[in-house]
Amino acid sequence: MANKNTKPAPEAEKEQEVPQKPVAPRKTFKLTAAHVLWVIGILALLIGGIGMYQRFTEGLRPTALGSFVPWGLWVATYEYLVWLEIGSLVVFTLMVYVFKINPILHKMALTLYLTALAILAMALILIGLDLGHPFRFWHVMVWPQWNSLLAWMIWAHMIYMVVLVGKLLIEAYGKSAGLKKLGVWLSYISIPLGIALVAIAGSVFSVVVGRPAWQGNGLPLYFLVSSLVVGTGLLTFLFVWFYPNKQEQEYINTVRWMGKLLLGLLTVGLTAAALGGMVLLYPGIPAQAEALKTALFGPLWWLYWVLHIGLGVIIPILLLVANTPSPKKVGVAAGLLIATFIAVPINIVVPAQTVIGIIESDLVNSFFGPTLNAGYFPTSAEWLVTLFALAFGFLVFLFGFTVLRLRPRVDETSKEVK
Amino acid sequence: MALEPKDVLVRMQEDLQRALKKAPGERRWVMVIDLRKCVGCHGCTIACVAENKLPPGVVYRPVVEKEIGSYPNVKRQFIPRPCMQCDEPPCVPVCPVNATYANEEGVVVMDYDRCIGCRYCLNACPYSARTTDFGYTYVDQSLPVMDGVLVGREESDDYERAANYEYGKEWERSGGLQSPVGNARKCHFCLHRVHEGELPACTTTCIGRATIYGDANDPDSLVSELITQSNAIRLREELGTKPKVYYLV
Repeated sequence: MANKNTKPAPEAEKEQEVPQKPVAPRKTFKLTAAHVLWVIGILALLIGGIGMYQRFTEGLRPTALGSFVPWGLWVATYEYLVWLEIGSLVVFTLMVYVFKINPILHKMALTLYLTALAILAMALILIGLDLGHPFRFWHVMVWPQWNSLLAWMIWAHMIYMVVLVGKLLIEAYGKSAGLKKLGVWLSYISIPLGIALVAIAGSVFSVVVGRPAWQGNGLPLYFLVSSLVVGTGLLTFLFVWFYPNKQEQEYINTVRWMGKLLLGLLTVGLTAAALGGMVLLYPGIPAQAEALKTALFGPLWWLYWVLHIGLGVIIPILLLVANTPSPKKVGVAAGLLIATFIAVPINIVVPAQTVIGIIESDLVNSFFGPTLNAGYFPTSAEWLVTLFALAFGFLVFLFGFTVLRLRPRVDETSKEVK
Repeated sequence: MALEPKDVLVRMQEDLQRALKKAPGERRWVMVIDLRKCVGCHGCTIACVAENKLPPGVVYRPVVEKEIGSYPNVKRQFIPRPCMQCDEPPCVPVCPVNATYANEEGVVVMDYDRCIGCRYCLNACPYSARTTDFGYTYVDQSLPVMDGVLVGREESDDYERAANYEYGKEWERSGGLQSPVGNARKCHFCLHRVHEGELPACTTTCIGRATIYGDANDPDSLVSELITQSNAIRLREELGTKPKVYYLV
């Protein structure tokens, strides 16, 4: 008691000596990268909201879609997002749970699941808004026709969404051994389910009689290869960008290993694309050959040659072929690849439809109207809606990463994965 | 004394009355288009647009014009192209919600209320016979409002808002995004007329009697006679879709 009575005097002096300064920094706003990203995301969402307003008040009229080109930017972007989402998860699960190589990757589980969920949100928004009646999406649940691969695709994606959310929740909050075991089983299930989803997405195109450039059995396989390429790219990019301890030798080794995997898959993908292209060109059937020629030498030739081949293939290959590329180089290569690979699904989806303007010009010119145009370039409304979907997914990711703190786990060791 | 040949319209009308006495499943509606008689007047297209109140961008029966050869051996060919009403329609199995199907009379129809507007059927049709309805109107909203005259926004709006009766149901066009806006649309052989004993609009309008319609299951019908002729062909037979629209060449 005596001490207590005597000590307050100096403390009071100290309080008088030191003004409010130590408290002040806690109250002042400190701008962080997360704040900037939130602002960018919300701004993008608001700007994209203009397109959403148009979409819900005017339907599909503000789009460049029509009867000869019924599918455009939104469908192509959906396919690309499916490739990204499924490919990254399949590669991750194969490496971590099946082959048990590069176990350090398991630390990325939460971030990857969160990213996949954000991509899933983007994909479902875009494909939902592509429907003439978006609010009838539940018809596929109630009256599915199992002869339709589109019904299969939607169901497979819904089931995959449940599996993904389950994996994310278990990874984030599952403490018991039982739940962890369930998480591992969900991961196993997600492999065939994911492969089936991507293959079905490719089959949706390849069974179409009306578009000869899609027909055949090549697209499901090509979709799978492309999905593995961009999925590995995304996983590598996330690993390089978000892994907390970049000085670890295991991290550096794993990044280099993934760089080699990416290089290998990219080579396989290029070979598959070249073979597919030759098969389309060789018979000389105009509906097939002209579609490919449109993609390669049409008005949007730069999409393939500059964006995809130049920025998305050649530069990444140059960065990856070095004997011991730095993690940063591997990350840049992966980032370039996933940022530009969207050119591929656009070139699959659009020219196969616009080719009708070349091969059946008499039909196209037989009747005129606002949806009877064989050309296609996305309108501002389409870009804005796409921006909205991407911004929404980005904000989902930010919310999970900054608020729910679904981040790479630094406390785990590689040995934990068994 | 030779009997005066019947006008094909009268003959088709009699064929139709006979067919309607049968159970729907026993009928097989077929259309025959005599390309030698088609003069390219596009009357069938206009009749179809008027009958089904088709908005801009939606067409069930365009007439494709082809120029064949070069001067002096040149010819202009007119090919009316309705839905082929295939026996094996590629547009049907792709629909994810069973919104399009071949009815018991073999006509491929749409359930507008179920269709989600995915437009998969548009891509699946090898004849590009389907179009999509995005809700366009002919009336430009910038037109002046003029009371008491036939043109002008209000009068024209009234016409566009009038319902069509496809599939025997009233489909009003309020200007919103309700079906059939947002749906795939297609020729249905004017079933709503046929069931009331009237021939399809394109058939009755054809000035050259080039379009013939009837029940192919009736051996006495005109279409039964015509489709067995050696000059009767179908489009893209190699696909195996078995169209029910025949062309006489």
